Amino acid sequence: METRFKRQIGLMLISPWLLGLLIFKLVPILASLVLSFTDFHLLNPDQVQLVGLGNYRIIFRDEQAVTVLWQTVQLALVIIPLQTFASIFIAALLSSQKLLAKNTMRTLFFLPSIIPAFAAALMWQGYVSPATGWLNRLILGPLGLETLNHFYSRGASQPLFILSSLWTIGPGILIMMGAMQGIPSEIYEAARIDGAGRLARFFKITIPLITPAIFFSLVLNLTSVFGGAILLDRGSRWRNDFSSYDGYINFVLFDMFKLGYASSLAWIFFVFVMILVLILFGTSKRWVYFPDREG
Amino acid sequence: MKVQTKLLPFVPNIKRYINILPFNLFVWVLMTLYLSPVLFMIVTAMMPTAQLSDKTAPLYPARVMRYEHEGKEYQIYNVPMEDGIRPMALAKPGRETSLLIDPQHPERGLIEWKGSWRTLKGVYEFHIEWENFTRLFTSLPFPQMLRNTFLLALIGGIGVLVSSIVVAYGFARFSLPGGNLLFYILIATILIPEKITFIPTFYVYVGILHWRGTVLPVLLHLFFGNAVYIFLLRQNFKSLPIDLEEAAMLDGAGPLRRLFSVVLPQSWPVVITVSLLHFFFTWNETRLASLYLGTDPKLMPVSFGVQNYQSFLPIQNVIEASSIIVLILPVILLILAQKYFMQGLVITGAEK
Repeated sequence: METRFKRQIGLMLISPWLLGLLIFKLVPILASLVLSFTDFHLLNPDQVQLVGLGNYRIIFRDEQAVTVLWQTVQLALVIIPLQTFASIFIAALLSSQKLLAKNTMRTLFFLPSIIPAFAAALMWQGYVSPATGWLNRLILGPLGLETLNHFYSRGASQPLFILSSLWTIGPGILIMMGAMQGIPSEIYEAARIDGAGRLARFFKITIPLITPAIFFSLVLNLTSVFGGAILLDRGSRWRNDFSSYDGYINFVLFDMFKLGYASSLAWIFFVFVMILVLILFGTSKRWVYFPDREG
Repeated sequence: MKVQTKLLPFVPNIKRYINILPFNLFVWVLMTLYLSPVLFMIVTAMMPTAQLSDKTAPLYPARVMRYEHEGKEYQIYNVPMEDGIRPMALAKPGRETSLLIDPQHPERGLIEWKGSWRTLKGVYEFHIEWENFTRLFTSLPFPQMLRNTFLLALIGGIGVLVSSIVVAYGFARFSLPGGNLLFYILIATILIPEKITFIPTFYVYVGILHWRGTVLPVLLHLFFGNAVYIFLLRQNFKSLPIDLEEAAMLDGAGPLRRLFSVVLPQSWPVVITVSLLHFFFTWNETRLASLYLGTDPKLMPVSFGVQNYQSFLPIQNVIEASSIIVLILPVILLILAQKYFMQGLVITGAEK
């Protein structure tokens, strides 16, 4: 009796979210599944026809779609590990007891992550510009590496994209830092008495104990590279700044007005991302340390 | 060791500082590198336009020094003369011969010099071009855009905070049907690519409900909570000791009462963090704004207005200056709230 009552209160408390889940997630997801089987066109919505799996057949012959999907996967393979390592590294520096002016340093490292995406993109373009940008004049030039600058002037925006992805890891750093602070100092003390060096303590104690945070930020980084939620959404600059695949969907949607085809592109992506997330969750039992299975 | 620190309080301190100096130096260098694009943005924003394409110009904001002579302004260049390189005012630039004035001996009049003036290097002085910053205010209805953004942030913020706090409390303290299943669904919704839900909602908002040009598509969904915020709040609520709530329950306080008078007063860091996250989001948001609000000055928020302005103005210094104007408020907020913000993102229920 008591627990049933408690359950009802709980349900009432979460009811706004349940309602939102229905209206803004479940119904739209199903709606776009239905749309993906049609040739729905934004300009003449009355002449909609079922085309069955037609859209999906087109995707695999659509060279552009396959190319942008592959590009997105490649980017993800570079960006996600890079962001994860960088945020662990900086978080370790920022939680070190040797660090002076801790709060100031933390704020400064967080700062680039609140720059709106459109401003950040323009900032980066200027920064790497071969003639006047600082990357050449102050960093590559003095090191004698000027020739390196051709890698982004050859029309490839990807290196720039990868580089600038390091400037969005503020929330990731905070998550890692939060996890590192949660480690009881007695464990370190005991390890030190047993003769464990600094590196050994980092790899044998810190890393295993922050695996939940690593897992969490891996999942978040993965989905944000593919256009899912981001902890700190900075808006967008142009249409394709999530990923090239996302940009292609926008192109199909806003320039070709093909809602049906865009839906099938989005569904392919959805299934793809969900498979990746499930794989990640499937491996989590092997390497993530759950203190109480509660999370 | 303890006695020593009491007797000589400074000696161990100096030793300690020497010990930690290399580490701190390393972090400082790393931080400078990390922030160098931001510095570049600030410095570029202060530069005069002429400096942008001038490869010989210094890295700091500067312009070629001026020399006034008989009511006219001339730029000063370093010119190789017979008696060495001398700063001279360029009176009449020419490709083969130029006319110069010696600022130290203006009475000598115009001096003819052979050679292209383009090979000359300017004499630079520090100069900030404040006009880069003011241009934005004269070409955009900035106060109104600011008001639009604040209204969006306020209404949406209250909606998303209240709903997320209530839902998070439900997840934190009550057993729900299906056990943890609903919580896993909550997490799953964070991971869903935005596009899949965007396409049908876009059509419903624009094609059926004709909500383009209203704030409804931007605000409505916020009143149903945000999965990321719910997750962060729930993790925090769970880490609080339950005793106080149980005591309040024995005194007859209902669930909402317990939430707002017992749980929330202990949760300010995470509430401030979530409010800030939401403010940053609203402040920087341009995707929904460009689709649903457009450039109507009655609705256009700051970020979209500035983004739009930047896309029509390909001059780098003005672009960076407008970016800085957009950045000022979030940076101030971040600094003011750093104490809370830097400890607010604990995702693995910190056991204490």
